[in-house]
Amino acid sequence: MPHSRPKSSRRIAVSQSGKPETAERHPSRGLEGLLRDVLFFIFFYFYLWLCVDLRLIYGPTEAITNFPVFYKGWAFFRTFLSYPGGLIEYAAAFLSQLFYIGWAGALVVTIQAWLLSACVGCILRTINLSRFCWLRFLPPILLLVAYTQYTYHFSMVLASLVALLFVYLYLRTTLPPTPKHRRLVAFLVLSVILYTIAAGTYGLFAVVCVTYELLFGRRWLLGISYLLWAAAIPYVEGVAIFGVSIFNAFSHLSPFSWQIVSFEKRGSFIVLVYILYAFLPLTILATALLRKFQNPKIQNRITSLLLKRMKFTINSPALRWIIESLVLFAIASTVVILSYDSKKKTLFLTDYYASHRMWPLLLKVCKRHPNDYFVVHAANRALYHTGRLSYDMFSWPQHPNTLFLSTRDYRTSYWRKSFVYLDIGLLNIAENGLTESLEGMGERPEILKRLALIHMAKADYDSARIFLGALSKTMFHDDWANEYLERLKSDPDLSQDKQIQHLRSVCMKKDYDLTDLNIETMLLHLLEKNRENRMAFEYLMSWYLLTGRLEKFVQNLDRLDDFGLSAFPRLYEEAMLVYVYSSRRPVNLHGRQVSAESRQRFNGFNQLLNDYGKDSQAALPALAKRYWNTYFFYYVYERQGRRQ
Amino acid sequence: MSKRYRYVFMLLTSVILSAGVLVYAVRHSTGGGLLLPDDSNLDQCNSIDRPPKIHPDYCGTVIPPNIAPLNFLVEESGSQYCVRIRSKKSRTIQIVSRSPKITIPQSQWHELLNANRGEQVNVDVFVETANPPATAVQWNRFSAITNQIAKEDIDGFLVYRRIHPGHGTWRKMGIYQRDLHRFDESLILDNDYFKGGCLNCHAFCNHRTNKISIDIRSARYGTSALLVQDGAAEKVDTKLGFFSWHPSGRLIACSIFKPRLLIHTARNYVQDILELDSLLAYYIVDAKTLKTSPQISKKDRLETYPAWSADGRYLYFCSAPLTWPAGNIIPNNFDEIKYDLVRVSYDIDRDEWGSQESVLSAKDTGRSILLPRISPDGRWLLFCMSDYGAWVVHHPDSDLYMLDLEAAQQTGEYEYRRLKINSDKSESWHSWSSNSRWIAFSSKRGSGVFTRTYIAYVDRDGKVSKPIRLPQKDPTYYDSCLWTYSVPELVTEPVRLTKEKLGRVVRGSRKIPIQMPVTMATPKPGERPDYQEPWQTERE
Repeated sequence: MPHSRPKSSRRIAVSQSGKPETAERHPSRGLEGLLRDVLFFIFFYFYLWLCVDLRLIYGPTEAITNFPVFYKGWAFFRTFLSYPGGLIEYAAAFLSQLFYIGWAGALVVTIQAWLLSACVGCILRTINLSRFCWLRFLPPILLLVAYTQYTYHFSMVLASLVALLFVYLYLRTTLPPTPKHRRLVAFLVLSVILYTIAAGTYGLFAVVCVTYELLFGRRWLLGISYLLWAAAIPYVEGVAIFGVSIFNAFSHLSPFSWQIVSFEKRGSFIVLVYILYAFLPLTILATALLRKFQNPKIQNRITSLLLKRMKFTINSPALRWIIESLVLFAIASTVVILSYDSKKKTLFLTDYYASHRMWPLLLKVCKRHPNDYFVVHAANRALYHTGRLSYDMFSWPQHPNTLFLSTRDYRTSYWRKSFVYLDIGLLNIAENGLTESLEGMGERPEILKRLALIHMAKADYDSARIFLGALSKTMFHDDWANEYLERLKSDPDLSQDKQIQHLRSVCMKKDYDLTDLNIETMLLHLLEKNRENRMAFEYLMSWYLLTGRLEKFVQNLDRLDDFGLSAFPRLYEEAMLVYVYSSRRPVNLHGRQVSAESRQRFNGFNQLLNDYGKDSQAALPALAKRYWNTYFFYYVYERQGRRQ
Repeated sequence: MSKRYRYVFMLLTSVILSAGVLVYAVRHSTGGGLLLPDDSNLDQCNSIDRPPKIHPDYCGTVIPPNIAPLNFLVEESGSQYCVRIRSKKSRTIQIVSRSPKITIPQSQWHELLNANRGEQVNVDVFVETANPPATAVQWNRFSAITNQIAKEDIDGFLVYRRIHPGHGTWRKMGIYQRDLHRFDESLILDNDYFKGGCLNCHAFCNHRTNKISIDIRSARYGTSALLVQDGAAEKVDTKLGFFSWHPSGRLIACSIFKPRLLIHTARNYVQDILELDSLLAYYIVDAKTLKTSPQISKKDRLETYPAWSADGRYLYFCSAPLTWPAGNIIPNNFDEIKYDLVRVSYDIDRDEWGSQESVLSAKDTGRSILLPRISPDGRWLLFCMSDYGAWVVHHPDSDLYMLDLEAAQQTGEYEYRRLKINSDKSESWHSWSSNSRWIAFSSKRGSGVFTRTYIAYVDRDGKVSKPIRLPQKDPTYYDSCLWTYSVPELVTEPVRLTKEKLGRVVRGSRKIPIQMPVTMATPKPGERPDYQEPWQTERE
């Protein structure tokens, strides 16, 4: 049973002379410090919840490929026991699921940040560096930046939190005058436990302990022996006992892991985690070096002069508290503002609204950064679903590649492209994309859900049941899965399920190898299967408009009868006018009329162009002002890429 | 810590531990505290004149005497379940459970199977009705499920590849070995050991693990083949494709091919692979050279899936005409490509190939003949037939067929038959046990896009019994399992070389340089083929 220590010895560090010295009391430790912490973390919480919105990180999104999967049940948990770091990964996987609920995710991250901050503060106080206690706000600020940039490093941060907690435990269990052998025992015991639960992050613990022992305690032999142990423990425990690869043994869960640095998206803003890892050892190192190389007398004199000056300037504790707090908030706000990337947020929002089919919100957000193919692609889909594609399509800067994201940049954007394939009836192509996404992004519930739907629509119930089975073990999609599993029992063909019936009615029946298939053929085959596949029709017409193939466009106008439309949509009227004007051929209107407004717009456009002597470049500003969202404008400028 | 806190802490710990023990006991209860149908009241049970519905389907089959317990789920509603497993020469095993998941005690199971080789094993299932009348407990007894215990063991270990059903993207994949006596699965090598990549075709010599070959594709460490020989591993600087070890262990026949991924827009399967070009070669282990011969690598033919005869005198393989110009373009008639089954004699001492003989022609069968595997006793040739192409694992129409080589030797005619164990889904990747009495194969039956491993008994007359799915401890394991288990290979002993050692060889710079021998339209002689889609690319 350990002897109880006098309270005063709880904040004792070893001075250069090796004698214990009492830690100074830092003003931030009092109630006023607590109040500042509370205010800071309230700000932190609301910022994450309302501004960042962690639901966007939950996604799913292709921008984050290391978001963990979590299944309920013992079997899933057991897999995490088979390798070092598994427990942290399991905990991180569980807690990360709460990102699905914005406020809960923000709360989890806030608690994590607060614990990190508290841990750093405690460590600094324990080693008598209370004057650097303000550094405890560095980890939360780094986290704010990381989340503002929509990166996911939660498991690494959790692991580093545990490592810092173990550092604190080490410091507390080895308070002077603990003999060396007891320090070694404490180090080894904590090392073995920490390595088991946090794997490669153990390195952080080892580095801090070694730095502390070498530079503060001046226990050279002990410090060097720690270094050897720090190399040996991962090898013995990781490679020899758990049998993990040597890379994973030393780096798993750390920001140096190959699973992070080898992948561009996972390594995004990883430098923040590097700083998080490095700042504590560096602080200790820097302090120790300062102590070593500076004359204590001079240093004390400078410090006392500075303190006197400070006291002279800010002699009121309340004012000092206010100024310190304001400085903190100013730094945090500046960092957050500087790191805010509105385009990134738009892309994440687009991803989120597109996958959750939140059309009005999607259209709203797409207007923020419309110069991205994916944003326009998503806007087109939202326009179709709100019945506005043939009216408002050219309110966005269009390009033929936006319809199906058919550019090289998006070649492997399987997840994003799968939405439109699934909606339009290209089930096999959507399935292929989702299967690749399953591998690239992990077993994310939204992917499983779509795969289950596709297999149910294809009457491949065996596969569907397996996807539903997996989904039924997730935290937030289990009800949906269980409902379908029950429905499959009561209605084995799902003949009463409207969504499945719709997918069956639109799905492509003609088999091709995808590489042989172009967009037009694909859409025509969909319409061949089902003339009433409205999305295929609107996308086909849009394709003709975008590629300027107006001959084909007018040939397919009769298909409007399949949808019972008595009037032409605005953009179709405009395209017809362009066609008639440019080809001098009549168009069969199939009993419909071109509206007077469209004719008027067309005449107005021509008139304005003529006013500039048909110099389209000269007329551009004037035309763009009035006709920017018309097909006339697209036909003249954007189709040929002439707009500057 | 003060004394008071210490007591509180101890009390809390005890409460938590007790609660844990209680929960565990209730969840894993095998009878304690339950009302059991003992012998005296068995007569009072309601007899139901049909076998119970159980999952997986372990009814009317032949089971290996050394297989892990065939745990199952009773798909009859009830509040309690009692299962009695009985055979002639041993005690009855009784399991009582509130859960319909029946977990059979391993030691009793093995005792029973071992003592009753060649005998029947009966499984009686009793189910307490879900809503019994308040006055009495009502047990229903179903007709017994009967299985046969084979006399011959199945090889103790099964090696397979575990992968998600994607093609162009890799996250996690590995080659695992399963102890068939138990439920233990251990990793042989996964792509974590070489920082991501693909590892696939694996082959063993004579069902032992002292000679192994594994293909590796890694963006970081290159494409290579890992060869293990008597405890030492080395890396050959090329992909060897599908392997077949010569029974002497002195050489490996392999196919080198240029695969191309196809996505079908409307078939009931999505992914398909076409070999745009392929040839056979052989790697001489001692000489560390890769060679080929015109007999196994004709310019106007696609050759693949080599398989040595049991005596090593013949190499069987599949061959199809190459009817399109070399290049990366998928021919329009890709679904008309059909492979013949041929063989070529080989004299290992002189390194001489004989002339090619036709075994089965696609013209005669009307289907593409693939994946020949010959039983170690040399009598049976097991193969697949599909409507077209070479990658049968994707084709639901792929079925298993058997051919009696001994009979063919006597009559001069190769007569084959379709096995009754086939399903309406793909059957492929079959392998024999070392005693020729068991086969393991991949099938997508009951699991759609997910391939599972099945094992089936083959009697001396070549009759194949109803297959059983590779048993798992949790009988519902496969119901939510997103892994596919493919290329199952039966081996008599575990792979002993550690994964770290294998990984180190893959990562290492030492490799056996290979000069590509000849002939393939692409590449030119002396160059290595370019491996493009679907596996060469990696992404997040």
